[in-house]
Amino acid sequence: MLDGQIVQLPASILFAALAVLFLCWFFACRALRRLLSTAQPVAEERDWSVPTIDADFTGDSLFHRWDVRFKLVALLGFAILVVATRSPWSALLACGFSLAAIATAKLPFLRSLRRLMAISGFVSMFLLLMPLTLATRPDDTLLMFSDIDWLRFNLRGLGLALSIAGKACAVTLLMEPLLATSSLPRTVEGLVKLGVPEKVAQMILLSHRYIFVFLEETKRMATGMQVRGFQWRSNVTTLQVAGNFLGMLFVRSFERTHRVYAAMQARGYQGRFPAPFYFKVTTGDWLHAAFWLVTGVALLCFDRFGGF
Amino acid sequence: MHIADGVLPLSVAAGCGAVSLALAAWSVRSTDGDDLPKVAVVTASFFVSSLIHVPLGPTSVHLLIPGLVGILLGRSAFLSILLGLLLQSLLFSFGGLTALGANALMMGVPALLSGLLFNRLRGTSHKQNMLIGALAGGSGTLLAATILAFLLASGGEDFFGVMKLAVLAHIPVFVIEALVSAFTVSFLYRVKPELLEQRLGVVCQG
Amino acid sequence: MHDLKRQPPIDFDGPTQIEICDLHYSYPGGLQALNGINLRVAEGDRIALVGQNGSGKSTLINHLNGLLPVQQGELRYKGKPLAGEHLLQARLEIGVLFQDPDDQLFCSALYDDVCFGPLNQGMELGSLEPLVRQSLASVGLEELIYKPSHHLSYGQKKRAALACLLAMKPQVLILDEPTANLDSLQENMLVELLRHYRGTLICITHDLLFAFELCQRAIVLDKGQVHHDYRMDDLVADPPSMREHGLDFSFRLCGVKSSAAVALETKQDLPTPQVEQSTISNPLELVALDHYRYRYSDGTLALRDVDFSLQAGESVAIVGENGAGKTTMLNCLLGIFSGEGGHRFAGAELTKKQRRLLWRKVGMVFQDPADQLFCASCAEEVGFGPKQLGLPKDEVKRRVDDALKRVKLDGYQQRVPLHLSGGERKRLAIAAVLSMQPELLILDEPSAGLDPQGEELLLEILRELPQGKLLVSHDPFLVAELTSRTLVMHRGKVLADYSTAEFLADQQQNALSLLAPGYKRACERQVLELQHRHEHAHLHRHYHEHPHRHGDIAHSHPHEHEHDHDHVYTHSHIDGDAEHSHSDSLRYHEHSHPGHENEEHDHLH
Repeated sequence: MLDGQIVQLPASILFAALAVLFLCWFFACRALRRLLSTAQPVAEERDWSVPTIDADFTGDSLFHRWDVRFKLVALLGFAILVVATRSPWSALLACGFSLAAIATAKLPFLRSLRRLMAISGFVSMFLLLMPLTLATRPDDTLLMFSDIDWLRFNLRGLGLALSIAGKACAVTLLMEPLLATSSLPRTVEGLVKLGVPEKVAQMILLSHRYIFVFLEETKRMATGMQVRGFQWRSNVTTLQVAGNFLGMLFVRSFERTHRVYAAMQARGYQGRFPAPFYFKVTTGDWLHAAFWLVTGVALLCFDRFGGF
Repeated sequence: MHIADGVLPLSVAAGCGAVSLALAAWSVRSTDGDDLPKVAVVTASFFVSSLIHVPLGPTSVHLLIPGLVGILLGRSAFLSILLGLLLQSLLFSFGGLTALGANALMMGVPALLSGLLFNRLRGTSHKQNMLIGALAGGSGTLLAATILAFLLASGGEDFFGVMKLAVLAHIPVFVIEALVSAFTVSFLYRVKPELLEQRLGVVCQG
Repeated sequence: MHDLKRQPPIDFDGPTQIEICDLHYSYPGGLQALNGINLRVAEGDRIALVGQNGSGKSTLINHLNGLLPVQQGELRYKGKPLAGEHLLQARLEIGVLFQDPDDQLFCSALYDDVCFGPLNQGMELGSLEPLVRQSLASVGLEELIYKPSHHLSYGQKKRAALACLLAMKPQVLILDEPTANLDSLQENMLVELLRHYRGTLICITHDLLFAFELCQRAIVLDKGQVHHDYRMDDLVADPPSMREHGLDFSFRLCGVKSSAAVALETKQDLPTPQVEQSTISNPLELVALDHYRYRYSDGTLALRDVDFSLQAGESVAIVGENGAGKTTMLNCLLGIFSGEGGHRFAGAELTKKQRRLLWRKVGMVFQDPADQLFCASCAEEVGFGPKQLGLPKDEVKRRVDDALKRVKLDGYQQRVPLHLSGGERKRLAIAAVLSMQPELLILDEPSAGLDPQGEELLLEILRELPQGKLLVSHDPFLVAELTSRTLVMHRGKVLADYSTAEFLADQQQNALSLLAPGYKRACERQVLELQHRHEHAHLHRHYHEHPHRHGDIAHSHPHEHEHDHDHVYTHSHIDGDAEHSHSDSLRYHEHSHPGHENEEHDHLH
């Protein structure tokens, strides 16, 4: 192939490629925003909406029926095995498995898209920067552009970035089948059964609950500032207001912690949350878990010994 | 900036996970058992404040506030940050699941050190508090960026270029974090100085 | 001066459940919250705990389930002090409904929240589900059983919190301001539930009519002391005493009476409702919505085809049940939410850029002042708006001083907003808006959380403001006092848009009232009757204290003598005003007796 070569290309190709990339990115973002906000009119300029973790837990599928503990172990194990792979091709394959999982769990793809959007900034930074900043090795293929000799597009870097992006996407796509198919308290109870200390598990649930309360407070406070003529700008006054704003948020949250704790005590809290859950293991749970772990190992073998 | 899945070599991610686990255990141990639910509720407010975006020229940066968390929670800060990052990962997929340990180290260690710094140096006057607040806030972010650099560099020299750019991108964030921390500390100093004592139990008047 | 040692005038019989002896409590800051409380609560007592904000009610409640430790004095529940195992047991038997339901719903879904208490009581997993369903059904929330609490409205959250307590089958139920911010429908539901509750009920409330309906016994707290402990009837029949403790709500009773009467009288010659207003933009029009629709993110229509126009200087009330779309409409009017349809400001279609101008002309006071106050001093707070407008420093200062004066907070410039009382913070929030010199003031439930005294002061301030007002309230009295036009909303639609007098007349006639729940009007009548029976003078004997002399000896001590003055004995007119009787219990109080000090006194010592 092109190993160790330097390919000279006219500069116009670079500009054309950049333009095409930019347009693709621009339209993709716009289309995604549209898709995500069809049901949601733009309430404010600052989007602080927090999605629901366990949006579809009432559904019925292979994933919904799967015991949480097995699901956690199997899918997290699979994620770790995916992360251990190296080639872009195995990352792509992993993405395929994740997509299959979403389809099997009958989850809406839109929510997974939203998660992909969240990592898109990070991933595109890698895709753009890695090929350009990679230190050149003797057997690297470089694309050079006439007249711009400081710019070297390293194809090995592109491969590396694609592999990282693929792995990140694969694990991100796995989040929905992992989290959305059982209620959050149940997932957390599963974690407890797997050895996470109970107190820490409670903390996850409590934090999660109060995020929404503080978010409402924050929105109202932001509105209050807005209608009094405040605008977020790049200046010190804005930072000062932001400081007050944070301070107020913290004061209110500290006050609330005590009220919440009092309310917990008043209903007999003695350091543990009683969990209203049953767990029952079936052969199906074992098989399902085994499937994912075997798939993960196979993927890793393919990656290491498959000739890529 | 959070590290996503698949960036770090597995060994580094696993090592970070182990260290975070140890630090988290220490953090839980140093927190009064009754205060754990309180830390959880306060964490929610840190989570929300990290959603606040401050405009910076044509774009905007969101606040990281490891320094402030350290200033407010002291030793419990690591636990709080781990919790916050876990939730960010679960809710938004900011930061990967497998890189959670690394992310927690990146934000949690600066929080602990900023908290320590603030607690040692803050003194008694308003100006001094504000100044040390700025120092703690700025250095917290600086340290976070440094740790990010080291973590990225662990992937080999291939990552050096990305590392340099990532650190450069953080420079305006240092300034913003330092100023916001100073103003927040100033506000709290005037309004509810008990919060700066790093003990959750002291504000139980209500 | 009261006789603080006086025993309750009636026997609160039944075995003693809670006994408090000489309870003192001071907060770490040094604030003395309780100052020698003596109280005996019998099983099945129904007690209204009333008093001004800051009188120690919440502190007392927090002692009753051991959230605050006893510093000095004694507190016994079922004969034993609250400590160790007994405390844990007591907490499972005593249910407390806190003010903010968000504090009480700390689990991820309603189901888990309701489970929390019963599971702590040691209930089996198997029998849980029916209990949870039953508890939620009793507050009308059965269909939301698996919903996370942040999907609920405020009223629903409040009811859910109550369901959490009812599931524990508490022997004592303590309610802290249960009716705050509830619409009449939900309040009725609450009253129904509580009426059938058989345990001991202790209820903190500023809403004396609500207390009057549910409680037999009234305990008045003031500055950490029990000032009165008597029948509910005695309390409401005693306006001077209520006034002394900042509880007098008689001003509302008279208001309701007169405005309703006026409304009924003038009903005939009122203009026809203005629903079909011409859509040609009016030169005086300030803001207007035209066929306006707004959809929440979950797809439900919050506003459907709303037509509303407001003229400069006009005062309008928006009423409707919780969730009718009132607050959404305010947000739309301000351009914070943007839906479909026309939205005009000063005669032109509102654009994004114009919103800043709109916010200068239309000021919004939020329901919770905490959402609006975020500065470290009152001067900064009030000056925030003018500063954002880019006004020069001395102008900002002038406006700050002026606005603070208008809300009767002069001299508060350097105080910290967070340290002020609830009523003061509310007024500060109003000042913060007034300093922008708006033409219209939007007030969202301005009287929420205020005690009657604070309410009266607020009303006085609002009455004096020259601005037009857009008022959202469940309170018929405020609506009657402050507005001339009323908009009735229901499920996102404007049902009626007519004069306030007509609206009030409507309310009087309909059985299903939007504002005051049905039971309240009956209570109002009873209270008025109780109060009417009172105010007249007659000769009676009682103790009082003043300096006097016996020959050469001049001293001061309580003594009994007979004189004539207005008194507030509970007594009844048997037929007309001919005969009446009242209790002969000795009263100890202070009043002036001009010249009496110098008279010769002749009594035994």
